[in-house]
Amino acid sequence: MTQALTRPRRYDLESFARATGLHPELVRRFVALGLLDATRDAAGGLWFSPAQLAAAARIRRLRAGLSLNYAALGVVVDLLDRVAELEAALRTAHTTARRTGGTPWIRND
Amino acid sequence: MADRRDFYEVLGVSRDASPDEIQRAYRKLARTYHPDVNKDPGAEARFQEIAEAYDVLSDPDTRRRYDAFGHDFRQVPEDVDPETWARARAGASASGRGRGRAGAGAGPRVWSTGGFGDQGVDVEDLFGDLFGGMGGFGAGRRRGWGSIQGADQEVELELSVEEAYHGGRRWLSISGPSGPRSIEVDIPPGVVDGQRIRLGGQGGQGTGGAQAGDLYLVVRIAPHPRYRVEGRDLHVDLPLAPWEAALGTSVVVDTPGGEAKVRVPPGTSSGRRLRLRGRGLPHPRGRAGDLFADVRIVVPPKLTDRERELFEELARTSTFDPRRRQ
Repeated sequence: MTQALTRPRRYDLESFARATGLHPELVRRFVALGLLDATRDAAGGLWFSPAQLAAAARIRRLRAGLSLNYAALGVVVDLLDRVAELEAALRTAHTTARRTGGTPWIRND
Repeated sequence: MADRRDFYEVLGVSRDASPDEIQRAYRKLARTYHPDVNKDPGAEARFQEIAEAYDVLSDPDTRRRYDAFGHDFRQVPEDVDPETWARARAGASASGRGRGRAGAGAGPRVWSTGGFGDQGVDVEDLFGDLFGGMGGFGAGRRRGWGSIQGADQEVELELSVEEAYHGGRRWLSISGPSGPRSIEVDIPPGVVDGQRIRLGGQGGQGTGGAQAGDLYLVVRIAPHPRYRVEGRDLHVDLPLAPWEAALGTSVVVDTPGGEAKVRVPPGTSSGRRLRLRGRGLPHPRGRAGDLFADVRIVVPPKLTDRERELFEELARTSTFDPRRRQ
């Protein structure tokens, strides 16, 4: 896994565009639409965390598979994240309920 | 792929469905099985199947050819009559496939007169179909996605308390686009409910040579008849006879790591929680959980004469009133 070892901690616009296969201008547009998170350095250059690679891949899959426009994608991505969060919370709540409900400790047999 | 499902069946529409119905069915299914909406590994294969079916059935021309020739329609030259084709296939079933593949020149060249191809041969269509519908939608377009990393997937992994305690090796069967595959998972000792085990590169397939997504195993600890799990702590009920609780005793309790001795101090009432430090679920990089034995006082459901006699004597002698207000 030499790839993992050499993977940079963050990407500039050019290397991010290369890694995702997107045109740098499209990457810029994704950032403007709030679809990707990027930080800006003093010179105004964009920097991306490695997690944004997966985010960019998800955006492209959703767009290709569901024919969504970029504005709608923002809503979909936000909702998907919220659903995941709520599902995780629900699972925890179920476990807690199971725990406090408990099993009857005396069997009437 | 000999056992491919009928495209109409994949989309759940009848063979005479209107283009509108086909599109509606596709949109609905795509929303359900899109790999970013549905984290189940089985959804990826379903989605690919759905996209391919829609790719073919959404274009009136490829749909007509699919109706006539079935799944092999891309191998059939543009100007072939369905009936001739069917006869040719029946006659030379062993070599029929290879002949069809050789292209328009090699196939039986019969001008169709029926409803399916009155326009004659369109060169663009011919090449488009021969080369897998490059200009098409869905499957063709998916190839046009370029290189995109695959989606992450999630699978629930139910473990017993004992498995969570000891860890170990498990074989999981994960469904994927090329059928179910078996993966070996090393479960570290001391996993907890809700913990996510990441298997890098075992998720959805990437397109265009991009890397696959990750597969996450979400640990679920199955309800246990004796243990209640709270993080790394375990709770068990400790039933005691009234005299054991009053006089104190030492009892043996089962724990996932073997038997443990619990000292019950004299004067223990129901609800008291006795802690066995570090006898809960282990922690790979920290302090193990504790095991709590919750005391419940249990009386004999039926008393023998002698027991009744002794309890009656105790009742007469004792001045203890558990309901006295302080």
